Amino acid sequence: MELNLKPLYRAVLAIALTFLATSILFIFTGANPFLAFYYIFHGAFGNELLIIETLVRTSPILLISLGLAISFKCKVWNIGAEGQLYIGAMLGTIAALFMGEFFLTLPIAIIFSILGGAAWASIPAFMKAKLGINEVITTFLMNYVAINLVQWLLAFPFKSPETLFPESSRIPYSAIFPIIINHTRFHLGILITFIIILPLIYFLMMKTTFGFKLKVVGENPEAAKYSGISVSTTIFMALVISGALAGMAGFFEVAGIQYRMRPTISPGYGYTGIVIALLGQNHPIGITLASIFIAAIINGASTMSRILNQPQGIVDFIQGMLIIMVLASEIILRYLEKREVIKT
Amino acid sequence: MIELIIGLLATTMATSTVLILASLGETIVERGGILNLGIEGIMLIGAFSGFIGAYFTKNLWIGLLMAIIGGILIAIIFGFLIIKLNLNQVISGLAINLLTYGLCLYFFRYIFSQGALPYLSELITPIPIPFLSQIPIIGPIFFNQTIFVYIAFISTPIVYYLLFKTSFGLRLRAIGEDPSIAYRLGIKVDKLRFIALILEGIFVGMAGGMLCISMFNVFDVRITGAKGFVAISIVILGRWNPIGAFGGALIFGFTEALSLWIGTLIVGPLSASMSQLLSILPYSVAIIALLIGGRRAKGPASLGSIFLKE
Repeated sequence: MELNLKPLYRAVLAIALTFLATSILFIFTGANPFLAFYYIFHGAFGNELLIIETLVRTSPILLISLGLAISFKCKVWNIGAEGQLYIGAMLGTIAALFMGEFFLTLPIAIIFSILGGAAWASIPAFMKAKLGINEVITTFLMNYVAINLVQWLLAFPFKSPETLFPESSRIPYSAIFPIIINHTRFHLGILITFIIILPLIYFLMMKTTFGFKLKVVGENPEAAKYSGISVSTTIFMALVISGALAGMAGFFEVAGIQYRMRPTISPGYGYTGIVIALLGQNHPIGITLASIFIAAIINGASTMSRILNQPQGIVDFIQGMLIIMVLASEIILRYLEKREVIKT
Repeated sequence: MIELIIGLLATTMATSTVLILASLGETIVERGGILNLGIEGIMLIGAFSGFIGAYFTKNLWIGLLMAIIGGILIAIIFGFLIIKLNLNQVISGLAINLLTYGLCLYFFRYIFSQGALPYLSELITPIPIPFLSQIPIIGPIFFNQTIFVYIAFISTPIVYYLLFKTSFGLRLRAIGEDPSIAYRLGIKVDKLRFIALILEGIFVGMAGGMLCISMFNVFDVRITGAKGFVAISIVILGRWNPIGAFGGALIFGFTEALSLWIGTLIVGPLSASMSQLLSILPYSVAIIALLIGGRRAKGPASLGSIFLKE
């Protein structure tokens, strides 16, 4: 089997160029870029605990970006994972609170979170598949509906009576993911993500006819139509599955980390997922590596900004730069190929 | 009661104006075949540079100028990505949004590293138009407004004229329909698209600036609150026509003003709850409007596609 190294070249080139651009930003504000990147690396992988924390961070963004990859594979730009995450997390929490202590609380709550994310995504999915309305705009607007709605739910109907903040009550113990590694935050949800969901999505994308349909619809919708593939069903399903995974990611954060639903449950994971899906080039393995990479950046950057007294915003800047560089790397590689500097 | 309603409609003019300016800018570029999802980032930079300009010079007009310059700058960067490098428009737009969000967060904290949050001690205030502002009801609603509102009102017919009655507009629309044919006819596709983007930068930057230097006296990275995307849905509903966009923006501005207004109107224990719930209204209305009105919407044929010479 011949290995195609092009995706790897692209990712490495994009990351290198992004580091270069970020270095300029560091120099501008008087920080030593080498030191800054050292602390980012240290903050992400410095010791065992920090490595585990990076994996804890990887889990939700991996779930989201796997879902987004399914959607992006057929060129459906789901920008609404953030809102789908909030609705899923909220619905899962509500289910858990209603069920109380019961041995099936956790699985049922997870199912509700999946249904919540899927249902939220089905609205723009229907509008895209049946009416041809641009999904970018609808999914993005629905983020704002979702987050504002959840904020209201947490401030009023589901506000915990014990706290002053707008947050839900603590979910029952039977809805909490057990901790796998003692004295850390490594919970069962992370194992489920890596051992069950990741292989499942890999199988779905790479080995099933559905995965093939995604590819054909994405690359050539006309050809898909002639070969008897229902383009609108494929588009609908792709968006709904990505919503389902985002919703699940949201509740995993509640059940594994927070133990209650908070209006700050996601620091923009929905948008981070977009970056990861692009960087990992919609391939489950690429996405896994990209998720760990971005999780490391997020965790490392907070350590770095504390030590070097650097302001926040670096993480978002890096993500934006990465998107541009992933896109631009295609052009640069084409240029290098023409010059026969590299062979791909 | 009548004063309350006049107040509601006067607020509507302000909330609509942000959307009118933004959707005029987006209408221009989309007519040239560019789907600029980076509009949110352009608006955010407008708000940021407008705030910084006004805060340090204590001059709101310099703030306005800075907002426009900031808007143009980001629009040109976006243009470079999609026109010169031919990158995917949708993804580049999203990248611009993330990038500007990060930059604004970073530099805002860098400039104001400690102490209380900075605020502007004064805002751009309404300029009553002599005589007209004295007319009952209509006067306070339409003729006692800020410069932004007047600019939005004057710009709408100007942009309409520009797009449909000038050779620039004709050529731009030709690019939007089919850039390769336009190119073969000798139209300078890249140059015209850059001009369209600069115009968008001016309008959207101004809209962002208005948020900081005329509506709120503080800056926050969440200040634009998806108004750019609401503006894009207005462009679709307005059928890529400035007059249509103007009407659409008024409807959304009214929804936003209404949600603020009901919040202040209801007193008692329900008040806070209601006003928070109503904050979803403008976004929900945008989605419902797209559901009803976006069905048969046919935009410029080449909208969002990549154009390669050759």
